[in-house]
Amino acid sequence: MNINDLVRGILNGDKRSIARAISIVENSDDEQRKNIIDKIYDYGNSKIIGITGPPGVGKSTIIGNIAPMLSKSGKISILAVDPASPFSGGSILGNRIRMQENLSKYDIYMRSTSNRLYEGGLSEYSWDIIKILEASGSDFIIVETVGSGQSDIDIMNVADLTCVILAPGLGDEIQAVKSGMMEIGDVFIMNKMDREDAYISIKDIMESLQISNKPNTPVIGLNSLTLDNYESFIDFILKWNGKNTERRNIRKIRQIIIERIFTTYSVYIESVDKNKLLGKNPYDIADDIMRNLDGLKNKYLEK
Amino acid sequence: MVDSFWEAKINEMEKSFKKNTDYERWKKDTLSEWNKKTGYTEKEYTNSSYMKIKELYTKEDLPKDFDKELGYPGEYPYTRGVYPNMHRGRLWTMRMFSGFGTPDDTNKRLKYLIKNGETGLSIAFDMPTLYGYDCDNNRSAGEVGKCGVNVSSLYDMERIFDGIDLSKISTSMTINAPAAILTAMYFVLAEKKNIDLKKISGTVQADILKEYIAQKEWMYPPEAHLRLIRDMLTYSTENVPKWNYISVSGYHIREAGSSAVQELAFTLADGFYYIDIGIDAGLKVDDFAPRMSFFFNSSINFFEEIAKFRAARRIWATVLKEKYGAKNPRSMQLKFHTQTSGYTLTWQQPLNNIIRTTIEAMAAVFGGTQSLHTNSYDEAWALPTDEAVKVALRTQQIIAEESGIGDVIDSLGGSYYLERLTSEIEEEAYKYFSEIEKLGGILNAVKKGYIQKEIAETSYKKQLRIENMEDIIVGVNKYIEKDEKPINILKIEDIAEHNQIRKLKEIKNKRDAKKVRESLDRLRIAMEDENINLMPYIMDCVRNYATIEEISNVGREIFGEWKESKIY
Amino acid sequence: MNGKNRKYIEKPIKILLAKPAIDGHDRGIFVLARAFRDAGMEVIYAGLLPTPEEVVETAVNEDVDVIALSLLNGAHMTAFKNVMNILNKRGIKDIAVVGGGIIPDRDKPKLEKMGITGNFGPGTKLSTIIEHVKKRAGEIRKLRENEYK
Repeated sequence: MNINDLVRGILNGDKRSIARAISIVENSDDEQRKNIIDKIYDYGNSKIIGITGPPGVGKSTIIGNIAPMLSKSGKISILAVDPASPFSGGSILGNRIRMQENLSKYDIYMRSTSNRLYEGGLSEYSWDIIKILEASGSDFIIVETVGSGQSDIDIMNVADLTCVILAPGLGDEIQAVKSGMMEIGDVFIMNKMDREDAYISIKDIMESLQISNKPNTPVIGLNSLTLDNYESFIDFILKWNGKNTERRNIRKIRQIIIERIFTTYSVYIESVDKNKLLGKNPYDIADDIMRNLDGLKNKYLEK
Repeated sequence: MVDSFWEAKINEMEKSFKKNTDYERWKKDTLSEWNKKTGYTEKEYTNSSYMKIKELYTKEDLPKDFDKELGYPGEYPYTRGVYPNMHRGRLWTMRMFSGFGTPDDTNKRLKYLIKNGETGLSIAFDMPTLYGYDCDNNRSAGEVGKCGVNVSSLYDMERIFDGIDLSKISTSMTINAPAAILTAMYFVLAEKKNIDLKKISGTVQADILKEYIAQKEWMYPPEAHLRLIRDMLTYSTENVPKWNYISVSGYHIREAGSSAVQELAFTLADGFYYIDIGIDAGLKVDDFAPRMSFFFNSSINFFEEIAKFRAARRIWATVLKEKYGAKNPRSMQLKFHTQTSGYTLTWQQPLNNIIRTTIEAMAAVFGGTQSLHTNSYDEAWALPTDEAVKVALRTQQIIAEESGIGDVIDSLGGSYYLERLTSEIEEEAYKYFSEIEKLGGILNAVKKGYIQKEIAETSYKKQLRIENMEDIIVGVNKYIEKDEKPINILKIEDIAEHNQIRKLKEIKNKRDAKKVRESLDRLRIAMEDENINLMPYIMDCVRNYATIEEISNVGREIFGEWKESKIY
Repeated sequence: MNGKNRKYIEKPIKILLAKPAIDGHDRGIFVLARAFRDAGMEVIYAGLLPTPEEVVETAVNEDVDVIALSLLNGAHMTAFKNVMNILNKRGIKDIAVVGGGIIPDRDKPKLEKMGITGNFGPGTKLSTIIEHVKKRAGEIRKLRENEYK
């Protein structure tokens, strides 16, 4: 197998090739990533659906329910992001649990990734992964964010359609959600409509949308036990034709540049002689490093 | 307001603890001096629930209303026991959990145990049965008869109980998701043996909440199983008065890794939920609460376990009386079966397990259990051999007839330590009840994965403590022996699986296919209507030798299947 | 502004934990999941009662380095073999398979022969298991190295 076989596999929708390409994107360097993306960049045209919202509102359940319904209209891929532990960097990726059964039944590719401590609810290479999924012929790519609530706002830079999932009875969390998430949603989903307080919660969201100057943003109530009203959500997704490519690419350009700059300079940062740092202003050292790479060896680096 | 019930209880308990000035003085004047002189550095002692354990307890540690909280045996709040004469009047039932291989293998084991003095039966089923699959399902391959006996149809039940008089001995069945089906089989079996249903007695576990919490053997979403529990509850309340339609179980919660406090709190929270179900079904609490029974784990921390049993009785009595308005004393009496801890058994140096089981069994007896299963020393290896299971039974008999432990009721009652611990465990449980209520009740807490996560965290912490030698397990992280010699274990031959599949095929050929189909169709229609009691319909299917999987599949079709919540 | 987290230069091991039969005893699986996470691995847990096909499908889709199988119900000889058969049939050689549970000594050589290593019994130290997984994952990573350059 070489890179061309791998690319051919991706374009043919071969799950093993897709899976391996995603690993390469996640684990290798800028050059290898570029190599893959170069070869697939022009392929595919997917609708990218972001699913975000605080913990416990039923994001996975909703995805598990809409995926089979959407698959009537095209090919589905799912990307789910889970948080990494800040201590070890490891993570437990448990988002498949609720979806497993439908994945094989509807021939859906799903990938679980760690955010690897990248902030904002996605991972650093979500863009590249989405690109691979797109090239594999997906009509819909569903992206589930970490789901930590108000900080999960990066999805608005990536998805064509950002769905904020809420549920009644969130208590204090709802305030936190309002402070961050009202701005990012193209649609708001109230899950668990079987609960008595659901209608009050919907009213509450509508009022917040008024205040946020987004009075026309739709709010859809769902009952995930009975699947009530799911057809309106599906209908909404199918009719949505907003595209977010520019924003998505600008986000990526910014990441590429940051990464390249960092890669260029990091070796110097890491190996600065700690003894020679004493009493020096970090701003001056950073200036030095960025101004004059060649002269550094004598000045800061260990022999 | 409901919320405040738990909070009020917590406040009440906090107030009942006194400040212990004498103890403080002793600690300062005598103990610290001594420790200084002998060079002893104080360290923290905790139990399985991570409660802080002091080096000494005194009279001042007793709650303010001590006499009232303690009461007398057979009287509210039943701290000292549910019966006035406890084990003097009637020894606990010695009930050994057994089942393996084919129904015939299990029948032989049951008779062996009865011959050796066992006084109640307790049936263990294999994994396919527990999940409602027949032995010939692909998924059952390799599992038939491995962890218990396989039951695919009524025929298998007939074999298990062949030659055993159901009107003379009570039977406990550890079955949950398909509990209604196994219950129906037992009732139909009694019918076929011409025994009045009013005369049979026994228990079916049927506690589905703890399945989602701990044992993870389910078929349908919770709502569907809870409806089946309602149906068993109302059916047996009316027709099988000596039948314990549910055994609310902490055992598996503990085995899944919880602490003693978590076991107690989550189990009782489940129990309260079942009470709610009965009330919602239109019954009066005193009509059905007396037939609710419990099942706890007895683990290795001796005093913590005894305190847990005593706290369980006191909480149940208090809540049933004060929150549910029960009037019948029997509704307030928490009766329970105990099994010694499987988790504490070690694979290493297996004979040591006899000692562990003995300590745990003693805790259960001191704690006032109504029946007891003692684990066999070889169970970290496999299902027990005849020899091992006999030692386990003899352990109970030695406690009962040689040790004198049961001669005096609640003989450790009044121990400053035990009484204080009982109260503290009680308070910790109330804190969990309050927390669970804030999460929208036990069902929501389970669906959200809160309870499961609490348990997983405790279990992980425990494992790390063992790895770091903070908790000692003899033979595992201390006193390790290099060459463990394999012991003689029970091997379930694969022939059991072949035989079961062959038998099932015969039954399927012999039965009246049309009758089977018709009874399953009637069940399907009944399932669609929430208000219909399904028990008679299931019994009808069973009578026609419909299999456990055929009956379960009707439910899978109507109710759907369940996938667990993500907890991490 | 997000910066790259340099911790990940090490490329975390990705491991799938699975109980490929009808066995609900998941205490150990959760302890292992936590332990692997705390050892810096990315752990996939796909829930109870997967079929062997689902286990392999998940491993392929998630592109894990290691599949860790565990059973406490005595069905390991049948269930583990099923997983291995499917891997072999699909020609997958670059995923390591490790096992654990209540596995009698007499079964261990048979499992090893199938390609399932470790086969840890009760009481095994977490650190022993983690070391073994790291070793196997290292072999796999070596196999995959430079494959697509």
